[in-house]
Amino acid sequence: MHIPDGILPAQVCAAGYAIAFPVTWYSLRKINRQPDPTMGIPKAALLTATFFVASSIHIPVPPTSVHLVLNGLLGAVLGYYAFPAILIGLFFQAVIIGHGGLTTLGVDALMMGVPAILAHQVFQFRHVLSRRFNQRFSNGFCAFWAGMVGIAIASLIFFTLILTTIPSGFDVTTERSAIYGLTLAHIPLAILEGAFTTMLVLFLQRVKPELLDDPWHRSLVSHPAYNEEIERV
Amino acid sequence: MFLRHVLILHWLTRHISTAHHPSYPYPYPSPVTLQIDAYAHLDSFIHRWNPKQKLMALTALIFAFAMVETLTLVPVMFAVTVVLYALSKLPLSFLHYRLRYPGFFLLGIVLLLPWLSGDTILWQWNWLSLRSEGIFAVALITSRFLCILTVGLVLLGTMPFLTTIKAMRSFGLPHLLADMTLLTYRYLYDVAINLGTMRRAMRLRGFGYSAPSRTQRRRLALIPSGRELHLLASLTGSLFIRSYEQSEHIYKSMKLRGYGQANLRAQSVNRNQEHTVAIAANHPLPLWGDTLLLGGILAIALTIMGLSIF
Repeated sequence: MHIPDGILPAQVCAAGYAIAFPVTWYSLRKINRQPDPTMGIPKAALLTATFFVASSIHIPVPPTSVHLVLNGLLGAVLGYYAFPAILIGLFFQAVIIGHGGLTTLGVDALMMGVPAILAHQVFQFRHVLSRRFNQRFSNGFCAFWAGMVGIAIASLIFFTLILTTIPSGFDVTTERSAIYGLTLAHIPLAILEGAFTTMLVLFLQRVKPELLDDPWHRSLVSHPAYNEEIERV
Repeated sequence: MFLRHVLILHWLTRHISTAHHPSYPYPYPSPVTLQIDAYAHLDSFIHRWNPKQKLMALTALIFAFAMVETLTLVPVMFAVTVVLYALSKLPLSFLHYRLRYPGFFLLGIVLLLPWLSGDTILWQWNWLSLRSEGIFAVALITSRFLCILTVGLVLLGTMPFLTTIKAMRSFGLPHLLADMTLLTYRYLYDVAINLGTMRRAMRLRGFGYSAPSRTQRRRLALIPSGRELHLLASLTGSLFIRSYEQSEHIYKSMKLRGYGQANLRAQSVNRNQEHTVAIAANHPLPLWGDTLLLGGILAIALTIMGLSIF
């Protein structure tokens, strides 16, 4: 779901970079407000590499198979590191396997990164849910919606961009119907991505729960164990 | 601070070109073939060009190509691209490999657009009409795509990746992004090998190869198996955990070498030192050569931009 070079007009590519710049700045500002911003860099870098590689895993859907985008999961696990991570991941996808492009990097980053940040916000809702329900249900429920939001909004942006910028010869009504139709056609994929994200988050909660901790959550930052760990490192 | 960061990250990245060569045990292509700077060791005018000037000029050229809206400029675009690729001495296989994946997306556009876009019908069979505007759009999109991809490869394939990041850093790339990019590049291939090993282990245990069981026979089309999904989620989760644990070791190693310490911020380097590091090629072009290439490419880029706008 990445737009290659040459497809979009130069003005759209420039607008993509122009919008991606403040979003990156905002993410970096959030990261730099942490007690030690460099602490999360290796984790974010390694997980970016993992997401890049994991997106090549194909889920068998008879009679074919689909590969997952995982931007919702990236937002859930990395928080505000997700946008820079997606920018870097897309850069490597463009230069290493030719998936995406250099001129469309800004547009692609917005298309994948903004839903990832939204998915992060959705996943944060688990802290509210966990007051009423158990941790497993809260994490699983929010992970499902985070995974779904990531892919659904990315699809909507992708089809809007493709159908409105490529000279398809459709009128406005047909274009709008096509955008809604194609996005709705992606709902099964969004459900699959949501289910996969839930399973993965529950696996991580069982095996390595600290991977789901996020430094932006107030209760964690004020937690004595977290501060002790920061001081120790 | 940046130079110190670069030296620490260089320590991490120094094995990248040799880590997988001699004893690579897998039957599929080595990740080395995927490396963007696999041919950075070649000797050509483009390889010896000052990295900062190369980044500036070729980026301008790429955006000039993106602005092309008429077919009359397409031959110029192709001529400049072919000359640059020939000057860079990069092998054609390097380009060919990277054309495979986006080729499928492009094929979709090539197959659909001539039948959908435009009013001027060239050929018709029942409701199916071949339109000239659609053919024009396909030619333009394909040409822009090929030229931008090739110039992008010339830009990134003719210098070590660390040099590319240093050149980007001198244009204002934040250090956090630079560090993340270098670390991601360093560990990308390790993670890919890890995943390959884990998938092979899964296959050896029967995943994906088992004879059709009762459960599989009952499977409906377009409905994924919950068990398979669960297994693949566990596979991905294990990969995350391995990477996370590795990242903790890396952070501690980097910290021991002074990464991110406040007192190192005083040891900032001036622009001249950065420039010296950036052009650390063995045989840099003379100043007139750098200037000539920069001026030539910028002139072409600006001409194309001007002709596209007016």
